[in-house]
Amino acid sequence: MISHLRAPGWYRATFWTLVSLGLSWAILWAANGFDADAVTGIGFAQVALLAFPLFFLGGLGAFDYWFYWASGRPTRPEDHSGHGATSWQDYFRINTDHKVIGIQYVVTSFFFMFVGGLMAMLMRAELAAPGRQFVDPGAFNGLFSVHASVLIFLFIIPVFAGLANYVLPLMIGAPDMAFPRLNAVSFWLLPCAGVIMMLSFFAPGGSFASGWTAYAPLSVTAPPGQICFTIGVQFAGASSIATALNFLVTIITMRAPGMSFFRMPLLVWANFSTSLLVVIATPFVAASQLFVLLDRALGFNFFNAAAGGDVLMYQHVFWFYSHPAVYIMMLPGFGIISEILAVKSRKPVFGYRMMAFSLLAIVVLGFAVWAHHMFVSGMQSWIRVPMMVTTAVIAVPTGIKIFSWLATMWRGVLKLDTPMLFALGFLTMFVLGGISGVMLAMIPFDIYVSDTYFIVAHIHYVLFGGSLFTIFAGVYYWFPKMTGRMYNEKLGKLHFWMTFVFFNITFAPMHLLGLQGMPRRVADYSEQFATWNMIISVASFALGLSSLIFLYNMVASWRGGKRAPANPWNALTLEWQVSSPPPIFNFDHIPTVVGGPYEYGVPGAVHGVFESPATASAEARQPAGAVSSTAKE
Amino acid sequence: MEAASVHHHGPPAANRSSRVHPALLGMLLFIISEVMVFGAFFTAYFFIRVVVENAHWFPIDGVDLPVGVASVNTAILLSSSLTLHWAQTSIKNGNHTGLKVGMLLTFLLGATFLFVQVNEYIVLTGEGITPQSSAQGSVFFALTGLHGAHVAVGLTLLAIVTLRSFRGHYTPEEHDGVEVPGIYWHFVDIMWVVVFTTVYIL
Amino acid sequence: MGEETVSEQAPAREQADPRRDRPVHVWTLVAIGLVATAIGIALGFAIDWFPVRGSTQADDIDTVYHVLVVASVPFFVLVTVITLYCVWQFRERPGEEGLDGPSIHGNTGLEIVWTTIPAILLIGLCTYAYVTLTNVEEAPAAGAPKELRVDVTGQQFAWTFAYRGLDGKPVKSAELVLPKDRSVKFQIRTLDVLHDFWVPEFRMKIDAVPGITTSYRITPSKLGSWSVVCAELCGVGHALMRQKVTVVTPERFDAWIRRKQAGGMAATGAAGGGGAADATDQAAIGKTLFAEGNGEATACGACHTLSDAGTSGATGPNLDEVLKGWTPAQIAEAIENPNKDVAKGYTEGIMPANYGDTLTKQELAALVAYLEKTAAK
Ligand code: HEA
Ligand code: HEA
Ligand code: HEC
Ligand code: CUA
Ligand SMILES: [Cu+2]
Repeated sequence: MISHLRAPGWYRATFWTLVSLGLSWAILWAANGFDADAVTGIGFAQVALLAFPLFFLGGLGAFDYWFYWASGRPTRPEDHSGHGATSWQDYFRINTDHKVIGIQYVVTSFFFMFVGGLMAMLMRAELAAPGRQFVDPGAFNGLFSVHASVLIFLFIIPVFAGLANYVLPLMIGAPDMAFPRLNAVSFWLLPCAGVIMMLSFFAPGGSFASGWTAYAPLSVTAPPGQICFTIGVQFAGASSIATALNFLVTIITMRAPGMSFFRMPLLVWANFSTSLLVVIATPFVAASQLFVLLDRALGFNFFNAAAGGDVLMYQHVFWFYSHPAVYIMMLPGFGIISEILAVKSRKPVFGYRMMAFSLLAIVVLGFAVWAHHMFVSGMQSWIRVPMMVTTAVIAVPTGIKIFSWLATMWRGVLKLDTPMLFALGFLTMFVLGGISGVMLAMIPFDIYVSDTYFIVAHIHYVLFGGSLFTIFAGVYYWFPKMTGRMYNEKLGKLHFWMTFVFFNITFAPMHLLGLQGMPRRVADYSEQFATWNMIISVASFALGLSSLIFLYNMVASWRGGKRAPANPWNALTLEWQVSSPPPIFNFDHIPTVVGGPYEYGVPGAVHGVFESPATASAEARQPAGAVSSTAKE
Repeated sequence: MEAASVHHHGPPAANRSSRVHPALLGMLLFIISEVMVFGAFFTAYFFIRVVVENAHWFPIDGVDLPVGVASVNTAILLSSSLTLHWAQTSIKNGNHTGLKVGMLLTFLLGATFLFVQVNEYIVLTGEGITPQSSAQGSVFFALTGLHGAHVAVGLTLLAIVTLRSFRGHYTPEEHDGVEVPGIYWHFVDIMWVVVFTTVYIL
Repeated sequence: MGEETVSEQAPAREQADPRRDRPVHVWTLVAIGLVATAIGIALGFAIDWFPVRGSTQADDIDTVYHVLVVASVPFFVLVTVITLYCVWQFRERPGEEGLDGPSIHGNTGLEIVWTTIPAILLIGLCTYAYVTLTNVEEAPAAGAPKELRVDVTGQQFAWTFAYRGLDGKPVKSAELVLPKDRSVKFQIRTLDVLHDFWVPEFRMKIDAVPGITTSYRITPSKLGSWSVVCAELCGVGHALMRQKVTVVTPERFDAWIRRKQAGGMAATGAAGGGGAADATDQAAIGKTLFAEGNGEATACGACHTLSDAGTSGATGPNLDEVLKGWTPAQIAEAIENPNKDVAKGYTEGIMPANYGDTLTKQELAALVAYLEKTAAK
């Protein structure tokens, strides 16, 4: 038993978690002048929620190596015992293998997709008819708040990090990420954040219910469940900052020889851009929630207008993160689409350099548009017009990407399998969502539709039709690489068509509801909106069922699908040049990159060569020169 | 253990595609995100000091910030950057005594800074300026407190380095353990200059 | 590994030539695109989804929508038509497995075109939106009837309105009544969290923000009766934070104001007198409080219907019906501790729980007395 408690693992994690609870209580007890009666349940919850994830991670063994290193004790020799997975249990411990972490990420975040989706189902059941069905208005507010927070912070953002975790090091010819231990910490923070958010359902007064935007001062005065959002976001944010930092260092310092920035696959570019956004923007959401926490827990006055506080400051700080966050939720998807469209059209990506530059342009512009969420907030009115212009201008680099993808398909040989179908679905649906975004950017129109279902329609066209379609595309595309099995193509196509059709029936009418004047975030609405809401609810249930097809396909194919060859799509990028799944250390020798990643249709084109380093460097120059000369013609 | 490390089949060494050391780059990026955390706090500060209707800043109810004490404290913190630099140069030249004395001085100067600041908090609280009394108090304590927390973290790192240097660790070839916390400490110092200028002087 | 890929591709490329001769139906594409665009725009215009255009501002804003439809439908059609065309013409046919497309890497001319056209269009749209914005926020021209000023105060979960700058004394009300064709400027405040003052038929909206006063103006252009909607999440009662707005002719508006001023006068006089107010005065104070609130306490009529006070709120129970047979103590309890015994079919936490603080002892007594007299009998 004692040895169990000393060795890193679940026993020690449980033990340390308990210790953290005791410690939290003791701290409060001491802070209250050793008066046990003065320790409140809420105070305890606040301290314990902040402390337990760190202790849990420590118990699991996330920090062992660093403790040894910092104290100058000899670190254990690198026997790679924390690397790779041989059984399912290996997925439940601190693992430093980016491939294992990638799968941990993807599976965990899909779990949260079903949790968030289930809440959407409950919401739609309530909204099927006017009046009260089965949840009261308070519970309804809780449902959409948790729905959105879970899907944004625990699904879309981490699932992209997970997919990239798996394929990005392979794509750039690196044996792992730059900081494998930090990578493990990033992942394990995520279930902690998830547990915290779910705990809010058990809080007195119900789950947090002030929307995923948690505007002050409502979030300051809301029942205690609110702190689960406030604190959960801190951990989710810390996780994504650590991952982003890891990606940036990996991309900058660990590319294979010959892989210049302009030979990187666009997925790598996309994650590079996203990571810049994360590192710069995410601290703002952490701070915004810290302010709320200080106001709530210690009686600070950031948002107390009577004491000189500023309520609108919350929105500025929040959106300075959360607008970039919508691109954090889209740019990695752009990367996935570039990979898939090139391979499935058998053509090089059209205008590769502009594709990379437009990503950077979106990053830069993305920091200058936050106040378009605040056109009706009562902020200084002069800010609105500059923000409208920058917002509109973002459509230009995005348009460049859309048109380049169209040109990539033009005259190609299109293979219409499941990943490609989702990519095409993305292309059309995202444009629709983007266009409604540009309409929203026009202040007079936004003044009318802001806070209506028109916004809800926009949200889902960009996040579901945009991000989620790219996620589905990416998961199908790399499924053979990640599992060594092929997915079932028939079920995949069925999934696509059901999703595509019911997605549109669910969310398109929301535009109309918004124009008719139905406000968002309401559990009850007037009679005139009843018909459309019923249609939407029925369609949304079918949309929910379609995700069960996906679930079945993934589980069944992973267990019993056809064995996947190393390169089923006949792709050039490096991850397809190794076995499926890749060997434990990715490569026996680091490959040498000798050409662009998408030279489809170029005779004799190769992206990387796999010889031992000595011979490769001598011979590499030959084909590289040959490729670039053909490329020019 | 020995045997394992001889026979183990590890990953191929990654290609170094940049001259920048990964740990250094990581630290730099971490500092960028730290700067943004401070950025958010400064945003709060400027909103409450400048933007909000009827905004005003210290003196509040006749209580002003102790600029004099804070200036001296600034000097103390800045000089700790110098002693740290001295310690780092010493170890590069193999001068272990220089490292030890330098680290000890740095640690003590840092601790003094924190002590003076806590004292300042106590004085202000006694005069009725608290985070709870007004929004101005809130951002003052939040901003300087955020910095103070960074000093505390930095001091912990310095304490580890100091202890290890007294145990004879680090060599002219192997002193990342001094360099990386050092970058953090310099950052904490520079950040203070910004905080001090905006909060006390402007 | 790489070598293998090459040897697979080499023979495939030779078959690519027949495919290259396949015609590209550019004109068919253009024609389909134009037809689809026309249909899309026609749909956007023909179906009028908007609620009634109840203000002059609404006309401008709906026009913005129509312009945006015209500007953006072509782009959606373009993307969709090209995608579908690629699927139809360029999909992999049997026998084309392993075939590659031509290795086109880019085309500078095209890239310039699809960067500049959207850019120019968007700048144009922004300019137009800017002009419209100035129009809808503009003060009324000289010579127009004097602008009406209404203070709007939001509280969880009701609005109260106060008319300022009238001839005679200010008027408070739980119901919004506006004259047609006269510009109104709303000045919006909140007593607690964020709310948002919105009448869909007028199109304009703005948040009520703690600590500041926000504002907008509209000129009602149609007679009718609609809902004031709270559009910013403000807590459990957010969905129920609805009240009535009525646009009437200027003559009827003036009459309404005069009636209000007359009714309010008596009440204020009595309250000013203080001390031993007799029963009639008590009732008058109670009625005023019910219909107008006292500035800090939200008017009961914002949520409750009571015919004697002329209110028609629908958020809470209809007091004409439910109060039959209640004792003064019961009524007082329902006002001071609304969450203790929640009426069936209603949610806890909607009726403000702070009347014990915002109403003075006398006011409370007057309110109870009034309700006892008019509704409980
Ligand atoms: C993945 C997430 C994502 C993405 C990518 C976007 C992209 C965009 N969004 Fe969206 N947005 C959200 C997620 C996202 N949004 C969410 C979640 C909210 C609500 C938050 C809340 O309140 O809860 C929101 C809200 C929101 C608002 C605030 C509305 C309000 O609350 O009042 C605005 C206003 O300007 C806006 C604008 C835009 C614009 C201009 C883009 C642009 O980036 C789109 C650019 C793309 C295109 C335009 C399509 C392709 C381009 C072409 C084919 C070229 C030619 C096109 C034209 C000339 C039109 N969004
Ligand atoms: C990535 C983001 C994402 C995704 C994927 C979704 C997916 C869905 N969303 Fe959500 N949504 C948001 C992000 C997202 N949403 C955001 C940011 C908001 C704003 C919140 C706010 O105002 O603060 C919002 C708000 C929002 C609202 C408005 C609430 C309101 O303002 O009152 C509605 C209403 O219909 C809605 C519905 C749906 C539906 C039906 C789905 C469906 O697509 C879900 C489909 C998926 C599943 C259903 C999977 C689970 C399936 C099962 C568990 C099997 C069981 C199946 C059956 C019982 C049939 N969402
Ligand atoms: C924001 C809306 C709102 C306002 C303002 C409001 N009420 Fe209510 N009231 C309600 C709701 C909702 C209920 C039903 C729930 C409950 O019993 O708490 C209610 C219940 C009541 C009841 C009990 C009715 C029953 O059937 O049990 C009385 C009496 C009452 N209100 C009187 C008043 C008076 C008097 C005022 C003003 C001083 C007032 N209300 C202001 C919303 C409101
Ligand atoms: Cu008031 Cu919503
Ligand atoms: Cu945005």
